[in-house]
Amino acid sequence: MQFNPCMKHKLIRNSVRHFAETELAPIAAEIDRDATFPLDVIEKMKTLNYFGLQVPKEFGGAAMDSISAAIVMEEISRVCAAVGLCVTVHNGVAVYPFIRFATPEQKKHYLPKLASGEIIGAFSLTEANAGSDAGSVETTAVKKNQEYILNGTKIFVTNGGVCDLALIFALTNTDQTRLQSSVFIVESGFPGFLRGELEDLCGMRANPVSSLFLEDCRVPEKNLLGKLGDGMKIGMTTLDNGRIGVAAQALGIAQGAFEAAVKYAKERQQFKKPIASLQTIQNYIADMATGIAAARLLLYHACSLKDEGAPFGCEAAMAKLYCSQVASKVTSLAVQIHGGYGYSKEYDVERYFRDAKVTEIYEGTSEIQRLVIARSVLSQWTF
Amino acid sequence: MLNLVVCLKQVPMVTELPWDAKTGTLRRDLAAGMMNPACKHALEAALQIKEKFSAHITVITMGPPAAEEVLREALALGADRAILICDKLLAGADTYATSLVLTAAIKKECPKFDLILCGAYTADSETAQVGPQLAEELDLPAAAYVEKLEIHGRTLRVRRMVDNFRETLEMEFPALVTVSMENYRPRYTELMGLENAFGGDGVIVLGAAALGINASLFKNKGSRTKVRKVFLRKTQKENVILQGTASAVVTEFLNKYQRKISTAIGKSIEGKLNDEE
Repeated sequence: MQFNPCMKHKLIRNSVRHFAETELAPIAAEIDRDATFPLDVIEKMKTLNYFGLQVPKEFGGAAMDSISAAIVMEEISRVCAAVGLCVTVHNGVAVYPFIRFATPEQKKHYLPKLASGEIIGAFSLTEANAGSDAGSVETTAVKKNQEYILNGTKIFVTNGGVCDLALIFALTNTDQTRLQSSVFIVESGFPGFLRGELEDLCGMRANPVSSLFLEDCRVPEKNLLGKLGDGMKIGMTTLDNGRIGVAAQALGIAQGAFEAAVKYAKERQQFKKPIASLQTIQNYIADMATGIAAARLLLYHACSLKDEGAPFGCEAAMAKLYCSQVASKVTSLAVQIHGGYGYSKEYDVERYFRDAKVTEIYEGTSEIQRLVIARSVLSQWTF
Repeated sequence: MLNLVVCLKQVPMVTELPWDAKTGTLRRDLAAGMMNPACKHALEAALQIKEKFSAHITVITMGPPAAEEVLREALALGADRAILICDKLLAGADTYATSLVLTAAIKKECPKFDLILCGAYTADSETAQVGPQLAEELDLPAAAYVEKLEIHGRTLRVRRMVDNFRETLEMEFPALVTVSMENYRPRYTELMGLENAFGGDGVIVLGAAALGINASLFKNKGSRTKVRKVFLRKTQKENVILQGTASAVVTEFLNKYQRKISTAIGKSIEGKLNDEE
């Protein structure tokens, strides 16, 4: 059992941190304020393989192990969670299903473009009436000749405003007794693919989250991902993986807020001494540091299970649940340590505080994570 | 095919360096390491040569086992071969001893080199000595603090900043340059490169014996210099609040600090002050 980071993981962390601090730190507050997606930085990230973290080398990806990929998402999010979200969603839930479920032809056609970032991906399960209840999708796909005709509306689509490709979950059997969903690879250029306005969100504001409208959208039959009716299976498998990404993202946000809080506590003078010398503040810092350390171990454990080929869904849910809770708690304490300044946009912790909350909501709410964990635990114990 | 050798050093990442008060040397075990910034510029210069011409880059470092990290980083960035000189006998080597070891390694592993590139100086000790000493040992033409390189056949043309002017020099291969941080801004590391740097053939590790080095030379007494004392310069900030009208504040400020300002910018401002009055 190895708990210390190896040389490769240290080097990856340093390299990504250097990139994020040079390219993203100077603009993070501005792109959050203006809700703009930093296309020029994204272009640089494409050439450095940030869009093909775990894509096999034969398709032009970096073929990283899961801890390495988590470190990348963590370090980007430590500086700018909204760009971290773009990378996390693209790699975790848009590219991953291709690696797992695509046909050799689909892989050959799409994976090199996804890995190079030539096309940015999105994952579209959520609808107005289908969130935690993923089985209640209402978008339909009806087969007509060699095509499927898709109709429906997807909401809160991360990367929605810029994606070149979305994986759309749609019903392929609407018989209420035998509801069946499937996944379709839908390119943004397909007729009938329309984007909605960008959402005006509390946090993650630099990510172009939008609705997608499918109006008689024509999708070639060969763009069915996996088998007909495999929608639920693909969705759940993909979300298991996506949760590792969101956990990494939450951990990065927590780390960023924590470092800002420690720095501020050492600088800020009250009662003629730095507030870091006050026991109350020290207690906060101790709790933050402990939570982050525990969250990181839980996350890397889920990653190592995934790389061993072992089941990791339960551990990914634990990591996602715990990392997101730590992120919310740590960012809240970071604001508290900053006092009034922490509530001001002058300091980054205010942004971290807003960004952290959604990690408890998307890719499965904390309540759904508990459901996944409890089901797994109860099925393992046969008293 | 040009044969390039880049000498790298791992330096501590922290700004508050942990010193061993007894020995006067750096507690490298306590500090996270990174590639010395000027060395990274030297590597970038080599990578840019490789992009223009057919070239093979060997990177060499001398240091503890953890120094392998800077070699892996160099491989990730595009170096072709990496050599770590690692031996407890070499611990505490000064710049002179280091240049002797590097000379032995280059003669053994890269005898047909065309150009050796070093960082102009290191962020931890800033002696700027190893590159020139290495040139002396290998009997090479050398230029230090180079900010631009051009290759024309077997001729190397370099531009460098000397005092307050720039000079352009030419020399024939084989040669040595130390690269400053003026130019050659290091590229970002590709993630695929990082992943590949940990596969493949790996890093060649050489001990002192493999280089035919006489061990007695490198016990501390063999190094020709010794660090007698290391101390942190104590600085104290002085907060002064100047109040009054703008012109009064400016005048008071200049009267109070004109000597310090003159020293800092290297010329007297006294005359200017009087002119404006």
